[in-house]
Amino acid sequence: MLLHYLDLSWRSFKRTPLVSALMVLAIAIGIGVTMTSLSVYHMMSADPIPHKSSQLYTVQLQTMDEGHTWWTGDDIPMQLTYQDAENLYNAPIPDKKVAMMRTGFSVYLDSDKVKPFISNARMTTPDFFSMFDVSFQYGGAWSQQQEQSAAPVVVISKELNDKLFAGESSIGKLIYLDDDSYQVVGVLADWPLNLKYYDLNNGAFNKVEDLFLPFSLIKAKELTSWGNSNGWKHEDTRNFADRLQSEQVWIQFWAQLDTAEQKLAYGNYLISYIEEQKKRGRFTREIPQYSLRDVNQWMEYNNVVSEDNKILVGLSFMFLAVCLANILGLLLAKFLRRAPEVGVRRALGASKRQVFLQHLVEVAMLGFIGGLLGIILAQIGLLGVRQSYDYYANLATMDLTMLLSAPVIAISTCIIAGLYPAWLVCKTNPAIYLKSQ
Amino acid sequence: MLKMNNISKIYQTEMVQTHALRDFTLQVDEGEFIAVTGPSGSGKTTFLNIAGMLEPFSEGEYLLDGIDVGKLNDNQRADVRNQKIGFIFQGFNLIPDLNLYENIEVPLRYRGIKASERKRRIEQCLEQVGLASRAKHLPQQLSGGQQQRVAIARALAGEPRFLLADEPTGNLDSLMARQVMELLEQINRDGATIVMVTHDPELARRAPRNIQVVDGQLADFTLYQGAQTIKSAAGA
Amino acid sequence: MLEIKPIFHALCRSKVGAILLLIQIAITTAIVSNAAFIIQDRIAFLNQETGYPEQDLFKFNVMTFGKDVDLSQQFELDEAMIRALPGVESAAQSSSIPLSGSGSASSFNLKPAPQESKSVRTAYFFIDEHGLDTYGVKLIAGRNFSEDEVLITNSPTDRTTNVTVVTKALANELFSEGDALGKTIYFGDLPLKIIGITAPMKGPWLKDSHPNNVALIPYIQAKTYAQFAVRTKPGQRDAVMKDIESLMLKNYNKRVINNIKGLDQLKDQYMAADKLMMRMLIVLITILVLVTALGIFGLTLFNISKRTKQIGTRRALGARKSAIINYFLVENALICSMGLVLGGICALLLGQLLMQHFSIAALPPSYIATTAIMVLIMSLLAVLGPAKRAANISPSIATRTI
Repeated sequence: MLLHYLDLSWRSFKRTPLVSALMVLAIAIGIGVTMTSLSVYHMMSADPIPHKSSQLYTVQLQTMDEGHTWWTGDDIPMQLTYQDAENLYNAPIPDKKVAMMRTGFSVYLDSDKVKPFISNARMTTPDFFSMFDVSFQYGGAWSQQQEQSAAPVVVISKELNDKLFAGESSIGKLIYLDDDSYQVVGVLADWPLNLKYYDLNNGAFNKVEDLFLPFSLIKAKELTSWGNSNGWKHEDTRNFADRLQSEQVWIQFWAQLDTAEQKLAYGNYLISYIEEQKKRGRFTREIPQYSLRDVNQWMEYNNVVSEDNKILVGLSFMFLAVCLANILGLLLAKFLRRAPEVGVRRALGASKRQVFLQHLVEVAMLGFIGGLLGIILAQIGLLGVRQSYDYYANLATMDLTMLLSAPVIAISTCIIAGLYPAWLVCKTNPAIYLKSQ
Repeated sequence: MLKMNNISKIYQTEMVQTHALRDFTLQVDEGEFIAVTGPSGSGKTTFLNIAGMLEPFSEGEYLLDGIDVGKLNDNQRADVRNQKIGFIFQGFNLIPDLNLYENIEVPLRYRGIKASERKRRIEQCLEQVGLASRAKHLPQQLSGGQQQRVAIARALAGEPRFLLADEPTGNLDSLMARQVMELLEQINRDGATIVMVTHDPELARRAPRNIQVVDGQLADFTLYQGAQTIKSAAGA
Repeated sequence: MLEIKPIFHALCRSKVGAILLLIQIAITTAIVSNAAFIIQDRIAFLNQETGYPEQDLFKFNVMTFGKDVDLSQQFELDEAMIRALPGVESAAQSSSIPLSGSGSASSFNLKPAPQESKSVRTAYFFIDEHGLDTYGVKLIAGRNFSEDEVLITNSPTDRTTNVTVVTKALANELFSEGDALGKTIYFGDLPLKIIGITAPMKGPWLKDSHPNNVALIPYIQAKTYAQFAVRTKPGQRDAVMKDIESLMLKNYNKRVINNIKGLDQLKDQYMAADKLMMRMLIVLITILVLVTALGIFGLTLFNISKRTKQIGTRRALGARKSAIINYFLVENALICSMGLVLGGICALLLGQLLMQHFSIAALPPSYIATTAIMVLIMSLLAVLGPAKRAANISPSIATRTI
């Protein structure tokens, strides 16, 4: 029966090619526009580490005096001070935690083969790789002991290893970073991360760093942050030691909390930490305040999906509504003109349900063709986005979910549009049309 | 009133030329009631279309009320149709979205008649066809005969001197057909010239003058007229 | 000849089609007027005056890894070399680069910290006496730094600079109009006397809450990571940019020169998202208007084919062609104007919604009015074609059965 309906639909399509084409075009354009903005939205808001995102928490502490505000929704600074990061890192719980900061080095080898260049670096503690699910092509992370001793070791990205060592294992080799030599202990496997969720301070869609070094080197080499440093009160920081002791915030801190109990216990620990610091004259607020946000909450909190994109998605769906009204109008006209034919069918024994289904199959077919065409239009739209803004290069694409949802949205839109006309046609009294003409 | 001299109408398609009318000559005087008959495909409808200026003709001369129709442009033809001709169609051709009052109003509006005058005429015409109480009804709420009476009212509202009726009873049963026919006869007595196209010889015989179109030409019509005379003589 | 009443009655009897058209027009008006407002807002943002000759300015970074050189001396040599280049007007080391999206800002106060006083967010550039000339910004009052007022140091503990040049916007925000010259403001507890006031110049962030507040402080701390700004003679920037890396490395090679970018490029980079938004919205409303026009076109075509007989009858009853065209135009204008009224309300509501949830200003009614007129014209144009086709329907249709 379905095949028969499809055949009828196709005949009907051919009978009024102009109107049918207009309808397909309308749905295709609607889907094209909606899918373009929705794809970017989808990629921006997609969970970057789905199996673990609810176990990874970023730690925020309310370090500011009463009355000071931050631009976050809850007035808590996004990052930690160096001293808090250090204290929390040395705390007994949880098992896995990471303190880190973004910086950069000039990179070169002990030969003239490669011209010195600048690379972004992440100063971090060794659990970074296991916590954020980063795997290694060669070697592995540095040890806790190397971390404690600020050993001059480095983990490099696959890309950098390809550039410096032509993809060979570089474990044990030396590279120069700002005039000091560092031993390569690990080479990352390919890590295609669209969303740099672990540090959203300087552009959520930037590339991940090429160099990863022990966090303890910050103190040893007096490294400054290439990310954001923010202060909320005047402090006379004249040297690096002052800076490490200051209330400026510039360190990101994450904790892995696998269970609700762990989260609760860690929360209690943070409260007790604040109370303890209070005795030393810090954390002057009456009520101790901290925040633990998991990956998705953190992305939401940081407005990773841009305001512009949300507006575009909203407008696109309104656009789709216009297309829906458009199609509905055309369908109504088309179906009603066919009422006499339906009268004959009804007289020949077609049930209302069959007539209704026949028409729904027809609109679903229009939706399907429109959806496929819409995917093509969306690809053109996304190409335009990529051309216009290379920062979105990895985001302005359609993944499988989006490719599948395009025809689904198209067909559902068409069916919604087709319900009323189909109902109107199937309830027509066959007698009326059989008498005249 | 109507004077056609050697009118020809040729339909040109890619393959063939069809002579729908050939050297058609006819004169209709003021106040006449003529029935035009003929087999289907004979050119009856073409004759009616040309007479009503619904269609241009290929050759010949056509004077309506002294106006040379061939020399009029589209707008002028529209105005002449509006002012001088009343149409009664086989399919009634009432506008389904408009109620009876508004349907009758259509030609009056095109003529630019004032609202109060329109109202007077519409009410009078509805009265005349006996549908005054149904002014707000939509056409599909009426029977076929009632619809045709509305169509006649619409044709009369413009007070035309020339009425063209195309199978006015074609879609009606015999009772209603008789009513409509009586109405037409009444209108004719009131002074309008009527040309009625029909394929029904019964109906045609009721008209004082009969003409027949065969193969796009005027056929011998005296025969019918003779028969009419004999019949009426017998009746008397 | 207008015949609104019967057209309106006829419309009321075939509601659904008209309502659908009305909805389309309403949503279209709501989207287009709001989108046009956002577009206009972005265009103003993209085309704003920055105060710099962007086409002639470029920047580059220097990352020194060699430890066998005195950085401040080296930078002095580098600057002298660059300034001597043919085609270069001026060059200066600058702690941050305008329009680049990265820099430093702090609050500047009327009293030294930690005393409470009026406090204004200000972007600050550590730069020497060549700074103003390099950025091509004019002084409108007071004077520039003299060479000996500039503190050049390798040691971060030195803090003896005590003058500043500020933008007019900052001066006016801190002090009443024209009163700032010679006054002292505080950067933390460091007093700075305002010796000059500049023409408008933007800070590093065009989207800052105070993008026009800039203070220049004559202080050069030679760091391993430094940024330089260079202004060239018109049309010569590309040539200078091409050679700058090799020239800098020729002076001293244990360093990396990168991020060589024109100020206009930096601005484009900073504004890329806004440009994208603007383009997407333009595409969106263009297509939307097109789709709506096509919808009106299609629906009118269909209506005409449905009413062929009726149109023929009207022609037979004496309607001129123009009367038929007018009929469809009036019918459409009726639906359209109802749609526009509804659309105007929807536009206001949508504008309100956008204002509530996003950083978008209130939609000025003029945008709705303009959009409404455009939509009306668009819809009439969309109807005109089919209406002309309708007018050409032969009146002889009326005598045809079926």
